Amino acid sequence: MTSVAIAHPTTRRGIGLVLIAPALAVVGLFFVAPLVMSAVVAFRGRDGGFTLEHFAKAFDFYTTDLLFSLAIVVTSTLLIGAVAIAIAGYLTLGEHPRLVAILRWLYRWPLFIPFVVAGQLMRTFLAKNGMMNHVLVGIGLIEPLQAQSFLDWRGIVIAFVWKQAPFVTLLLAGAMASVERTHIEAARNLGARPLRLLVDIVLPQVRGTLLVGLVLSFVTMLSVLSVPLMINPNSPTMITVDVAYRISTFGDYPVANALCLLTLGLAAIGAVFYLRHAAARAEG
Amino acid sequence: MKLRICALVAGLAFAATVSAQTTLNVITAGDQNMVDYVNNYLAPKFEAANPGVKVRAVGTGPGDAGSQKIYEKLSAQQKAGSNEWDVDVAVIHQLASATMVNENLLMKYRGDIPAGKMVTRDTAKNALGANVDGYVLPMFHSQIVFAYNPDLVKSPPKSFAELNEWVKKNPKQFGYNGVKGGMSGVGFVTGWVSAYSGLADKLENGPYDPASGAAIDKALTGLKEFNQYVVMTPGNAGTLDMLNRGEIAMGPVWVDMFYTWQADGRMSPKIKLVLPSPGLPGQPMYYVIPAKAAHAALAKKFIELAESPEVQADGIVKQFNWYPGIDPQFVQPKLDQAAWNKLFTDVSPADLSKYGRPFPLSPYFKQITEGYERVVLK
Repeated sequence: MTSVAIAHPTTRRGIGLVLIAPALAVVGLFFVAPLVMSAVVAFRGRDGGFTLEHFAKAFDFYTTDLLFSLAIVVTSTLLIGAVAIAIAGYLTLGEHPRLVAILRWLYRWPLFIPFVVAGQLMRTFLAKNGMMNHVLVGIGLIEPLQAQSFLDWRGIVIAFVWKQAPFVTLLLAGAMASVERTHIEAARNLGARPLRLLVDIVLPQVRGTLLVGLVLSFVTMLSVLSVPLMINPNSPTMITVDVAYRISTFGDYPVANALCLLTLGLAAIGAVFYLRHAAARAEG
Repeated sequence: MKLRICALVAGLAFAATVSAQTTLNVITAGDQNMVDYVNNYLAPKFEAANPGVKVRAVGTGPGDAGSQKIYEKLSAQQKAGSNEWDVDVAVIHQLASATMVNENLLMKYRGDIPAGKMVTRDTAKNALGANVDGYVLPMFHSQIVFAYNPDLVKSPPKSFAELNEWVKKNPKQFGYNGVKGGMSGVGFVTGWVSAYSGLADKLENGPYDPASGAAIDKALTGLKEFNQYVVMTPGNAGTLDMLNRGEIAMGPVWVDMFYTWQADGRMSPKIKLVLPSPGLPGQPMYYVIPAKAAHAALAKKFIELAESPEVQADGIVKQFNWYPGIDPQFVQPKLDQAAWNKLFTDVSPADLSKYGRPFPLSPYFKQITEGYERVVLK
């Protein structure tokens, strides 16, 4: 009798709704509601009416920083892609089992390090008197007077790539491992060099996973406050620093929320890529 | 079984008596040295004098941002209509104190404690132009100065004009932390605007005239050009750090942070200080009691202890190298000559009285910091 009841379409739909209700509630309460409140504060004027003055101020003060944030995150994403493809490619196609094993063990370490700690590490590593310059001077590559501090936009990119590349590599290596060995062997038998194998045979088959990993990294990096705060005292700087400054020093929530909504717009660029891929996956 | 029940009841009774002690909640803005001062120095003294009381100190971070957090906490409790707030003593900056007095978040207590009569400096009544008389007592007075490395800087610039010339001849040797990195950078910027806008007196004493925006922006344009020859540092500590490692030769620092770092061995003892004309700002931080503090009487006793001449001499001046919060003449008898002189070696009392300025009035302060973002950072 129960099986007949469940088979009825309305009951099935009802049960389905009940099952997803908790998840929907969490998303609604902790994401949609704050987003709506944030939008309300960003568009509400001092008298309570609708206004664009906060966005005008945000663009007036922080357009350079918005473009800077986008440039940094795009650059980092591209570099992460390159590093991830290189490492995952070697792990899949590498000829020396020893080296492959060492690399597999080594590349995952930054995964377990929070962004704040990564920021602090880079602060001491990339400073003018930091470890990197000490090593370069020690092995004779540069003169002491030529030592530069990398604590500017380059430091942010280095910190982001170092921290996020292992994550994308992990995803990519998994996807590459599930590529049929026969394809790789066939191409190898026909004389393909390893680079050709990677670019023409393996990579096209793991495109989807690479895209997912890069989009997730893109969105994550847009939200990081600790790294730019600790590494880049110069201007321009990333939008997260400006949001924190607006809130902490002036209590200026409207402009801070306006900046957050603008950042959401930037993140949406990544989301578009992700959704198109996911939709293609669902249909295909 | 009976034995177990007896043991359980005894244990609970013991736990109950232990938790019957009162906790005094002290919340303080400012760098970590502020929290350390309460935890390592004031708390043991107070707890020894008042058995059954535990002092709990929490820090909210440096700069006006830290004070802003305390304001938000008290404001939230006020809006929620709580009868007893969970903060007994707060230590805040001037800007926040003005806001809090305005919104009736603080209790008037200065008349209730003897130390209240030992403070005659203007800072006890005037916080950046707002009247806070009776609600605050200065904990200490701090001062921003230029610290410089005498090996690299043979004759330090004695004024902002001289500094401007000096950085052009010595590019990337001066460093400061902008307006987003901490108050020493903010102080440098307001000092620059005071020097170059011609509005020095008006900025400190008022009245507020929105039309001065043009003069302020003009001064900031000069600062934008100046910034090309300098290095930006990550914060108050960042400037001190880079100075110590020789990455910069000069930069604005807090006097107390500087001397504390020297005492800790984190700063080379050869670094010297200079206070340029027309001046750099300093600020007091204030002890305040929230209007509905749960333990107001204890809070007043705590502040009385903190403002007593002995604690001011031993804690504020000797240990932490701040200028005292109460008038110096009350503190001097409790200090030996060497300790008194140490604070006034590089920067003489005469220099301090001439070139130690307050921060500009709140509306000008906001105009300058926002102007920095608008003019200098674009």
